[in-house]
Amino acid sequence: MTTTARDRRGYLPYLIPGLLLFVGVIAVPFAMNIGIGFTRWSGVGTPDWIGFGNYKELVKDSEFWASFRHNLALVAGMSIIPAAIGLVLAAALTDIIGRRFGPRTASVLRACIYLPQLLPIVVAGIVWSWILAPDNGAANAMLKAVGLDSLAHDWLGDPNTAMWAVMVVMVWFQIGFPLVIFMAGLQRVDPSLYEAAEIDGASWWRRFWHITVTQIRPEIYVVLLICTIYSLKSFPQIYVLTKGGPGGATNVPSYYSYQNFFEKTDVGYGASIATVLTLITVVLVVGFIRAQRGQLDEEGQT
Amino acid sequence: MTLLKPRDAPTRRTRGTAARPRRRPARAAGRRGGMSSGYAVLAALVVLAVVMLVPFVIVAFNALKTPTEYSTHGPLSVPHGLYLQGVKDFWNRVDYGQKLVNSVIISGTVAVAGTTLSVLNAYALGIGRVRGRLWILVLLLMANLLPQESLIYPLYFMFKKAGLYDTRLSVIIVFTVIQSAFGTYLLSSVLSSFPRPLLEAARIDGANRWQVLWRIVVPISRPTIVVLLVFFFIWTWNEFLIPLVMLISNDNQTVSVALGVLHGQRLMDATMSSAAALLGIIPTLVFFLIFQRTLSRGITVGAIK
Amino acid sequence: MFMARKGAAVLATLAACGLTVAACGGGGGGGNKSGGGTQTKVLKLWHYEGPDSAMGVAWNQAIKDFEASHPGVTVKFEEKGFEQIQKTAPMVLNSKDAPDVMEYNKGNATAGLLSKQGLLTDLTPQVTKRGWDKLVPANVQTIAKYDAKGVMGGDKWYGVPNYAEYLQVFYNKDLFDKNKVKVPTTFDEFTAALDAFAKKGITPLANAGAEYMAQQYLYQLALSKANPTWVDNYERYTGKVNFHDPAWTYAATTFADWVKKGYIAKSSVSTKAEDAGVAFIGGKFPMMFSGSWWFGRIEKEAKFNWDTFAWPGSQLTLGSGGNIWVVPQGSKNKDLAYDFIDATMKQNIQNALANNGGVPVAANPAAVSDPKAKELIQTYDALVQRSGLAFYPDWPVPGFYDTLVSQTQKLINGSATPDKVLSDLQKAYDAGLPK
Repeated sequence: MTTTARDRRGYLPYLIPGLLLFVGVIAVPFAMNIGIGFTRWSGVGTPDWIGFGNYKELVKDSEFWASFRHNLALVAGMSIIPAAIGLVLAAALTDIIGRRFGPRTASVLRACIYLPQLLPIVVAGIVWSWILAPDNGAANAMLKAVGLDSLAHDWLGDPNTAMWAVMVVMVWFQIGFPLVIFMAGLQRVDPSLYEAAEIDGASWWRRFWHITVTQIRPEIYVVLLICTIYSLKSFPQIYVLTKGGPGGATNVPSYYSYQNFFEKTDVGYGASIATVLTLITVVLVVGFIRAQRGQLDEEGQT
Repeated sequence: MTLLKPRDAPTRRTRGTAARPRRRPARAAGRRGGMSSGYAVLAALVVLAVVMLVPFVIVAFNALKTPTEYSTHGPLSVPHGLYLQGVKDFWNRVDYGQKLVNSVIISGTVAVAGTTLSVLNAYALGIGRVRGRLWILVLLLMANLLPQESLIYPLYFMFKKAGLYDTRLSVIIVFTVIQSAFGTYLLSSVLSSFPRPLLEAARIDGANRWQVLWRIVVPISRPTIVVLLVFFFIWTWNEFLIPLVMLISNDNQTVSVALGVLHGQRLMDATMSSAAALLGIIPTLVFFLIFQRTLSRGITVGAIK
Repeated sequence: MFMARKGAAVLATLAACGLTVAACGGGGGGGNKSGGGTQTKVLKLWHYEGPDSAMGVAWNQAIKDFEASHPGVTVKFEEKGFEQIQKTAPMVLNSKDAPDVMEYNKGNATAGLLSKQGLLTDLTPQVTKRGWDKLVPANVQTIAKYDAKGVMGGDKWYGVPNYAEYLQVFYNKDLFDKNKVKVPTTFDEFTAALDAFAKKGITPLANAGAEYMAQQYLYQLALSKANPTWVDNYERYTGKVNFHDPAWTYAATTFADWVKKGYIAKSSVSTKAEDAGVAFIGGKFPMMFSGSWWFGRIEKEAKFNWDTFAWPGSQLTLGSGGNIWVVPQGSKNKDLAYDFIDATMKQNIQNALANNGGVPVAANPAAVSDPKAKELIQTYDALVQRSGLAFYPDWPVPGFYDTLVSQTQKLINGSATPDKVLSDLQKAYDAGLPK
């Protein structure tokens, strides 16, 4: 390695603006949030110090722990599935569509798939509840039109399908994000790699797996982690689609914390939930980035 | 499968399809992986794109309906005519021009400032590989992973103390930091696999760190940087909770907060909401379309090698 | 390449503009303050009623009246979103940016909480001086007066209600005629009518399980077996509340039974109130039990003959005074604020409310021309005469709204027995009581 310790230190000034702003906007408020977590407070007036009271309550709060299980489904719907589909789409758009039908076709298709990200989530929620409505929704009408009446269903109303329906909406909403990132990442890939593989007679899937996936691995890690974080703090989606219902079947921790902050005005308890949620996410993120760095360093050495 | 396709071709050609003559030059370029499979992929993607757009069609339908039409025929019916009053009424009711200016100022500033901050951070972390970069990265990522609702009360107190409560600047500062967390992470991941020989060559030529950053690193990472600009703009545009709390006077409000006026305590105005949503998408859509051209036009690392 | 350059230039310019404008933004808010010297005074007014609603129309009229009677004073009105006020009122009122007078939500968790924290002005002297207490019926006053703990029904006025609201059954006359069903006047006739529709394959009652409608059916069923003391115990913590008492038990079992019999659709679990209302206006349901806030809209948009009746066989029904005018402690023009409130209580504004489909607190039925609007107000008068307004089920405990939604959803899709639902409600109610 050519980089020495002194050389590395020379890069430190570039971090100063970022770290200063971080302290002011994130670190201090988060410290305050931790403090609020030790109080009983309704948002105005003086908070009452109650020590670990909120945390003791939280440990026993079955609603809180149940909401974590629902979040696993959301991780799939907002992170894993969109990343996987986005990867295949990005490769297909760049490799097949871009090369055969021109980059213009590829970018029009990309724009269409990205569009859901532009729609304010509140509006998206309203539209999807129209589509998924049990009696006159578009989804059921479509099923009936093709003779599949028996499959028509109260998608958001049945506790067994509500989470699935939410997942479908999440995939719809989320998929454009990985697609755009992956397509930008693919710009970095040396086209001669593909040409060489093609001459060797490698199939499309082999090229996809061995070149595309390997080359844009940094982006894949980033997308997976960021989307997982979003799914852990994504109360707006739940709020507009189901409000955690039916009967709590789609409640997630972030919505639960939101409820305490703004609906029950139990700000102290909401703050303690947010603190726990943050700590859990931090542990997750550290593990993830360590794994990622291990991978990338390994590649860097070979 | 792919092998069978070309053999199939002559028999099909006798039947003759309009599209066939156009396919041939393309095949010469594509060589492997039969042409029909290319069209199959295109067809599948077009279907997908159409499905993705269905909700937008529904929004557009309702934006163009009269409230009575919406109530009698439901949200999924096709509008009988063009009713633009909803759009006009909403525009006047919330002074939409002013909201647009606010949103553009806030989102535009955050896009530029957030991207710049991300580049600086990522340069130190990804290329500089400073000590403890894992922990610095995790720390910075906290900005992204904190539930926003937990920041509301502390930020309110701090901005009130600083005299920035109810100013656009407060929202700009907050989102510059929040968005740059993602930017730092993405860019530093990408930069950590940056080709070292390029950097060393530049250093040998006598370029200092600052010059290396702007002359080598930034141009080569341009596709990713444009992605950041686009994302930051759009995300900030659609942010709701923090602007709702920080920007209380109507003169400072953003487009997404203005949408909230249409949801009463127990009633909402669905046709006007749709009209407003459509109106709200247009700026972000234009922004995306302008910048998406540059997304696929980046200089690749390979090209420089 | 060129495009990117241009794009970047545009962005940089925007950013530069943004910073300058934002930097000046701090001074912008002070504009009206510096002008508040001698020549023009500004009254800052916030409310969150749409311009076409009864309140929006009437209050707009009040602004004009007020400006006419106060030369040299202009009203700077800003329309706010309901959600924004709901979430930010404590913060706004605690800052120097508070308005002089605003509409705010009634109830312990909102107006009560802020009054306890000293953020609202005690209006009691003004109320007696200006005689508002004579205009507002006692049953409606409950939501305007709070005690030292911020519990409603107290002794001090912190707000003044200008309008009221209550629930009744809206029905589609055409559907009743077409199916030869008699419009009910007693509870037995009501269930008979429900049954008649259900037998013909028509779901008689519009419902929205994801929002307030379902819990309002449930509470109404309980109210039909309750008395005012029961309501006081429940809403104002004056006595022990038992969810396994006859009223609640009757309500939960009847509600579950009605779903089973098809009076309320099983598929309404995830329906939103807006969609249920639209389905009723679209002629898909013969009846909808909901609030007077639908009145203006149904009148404007329904294409069939319709009318209303009170829930048969019940002395009590859901309803209360509407949202209240409050004067923030930080108001800079309190006297003008009182004058403005007074303007909205004047007979002509109250009549304007009534004529636009609202329920004014102090209406004069004789001055209302539209027969349906007249009936709306007569029913209201009768209700307040017998103290029949029993508020809403989600009021006593913060966050109880969500609990009620999720528990009634369980009743609708049958995932919990009425007994279990009532036990869970009891748990949430007890946990949320003020400590």
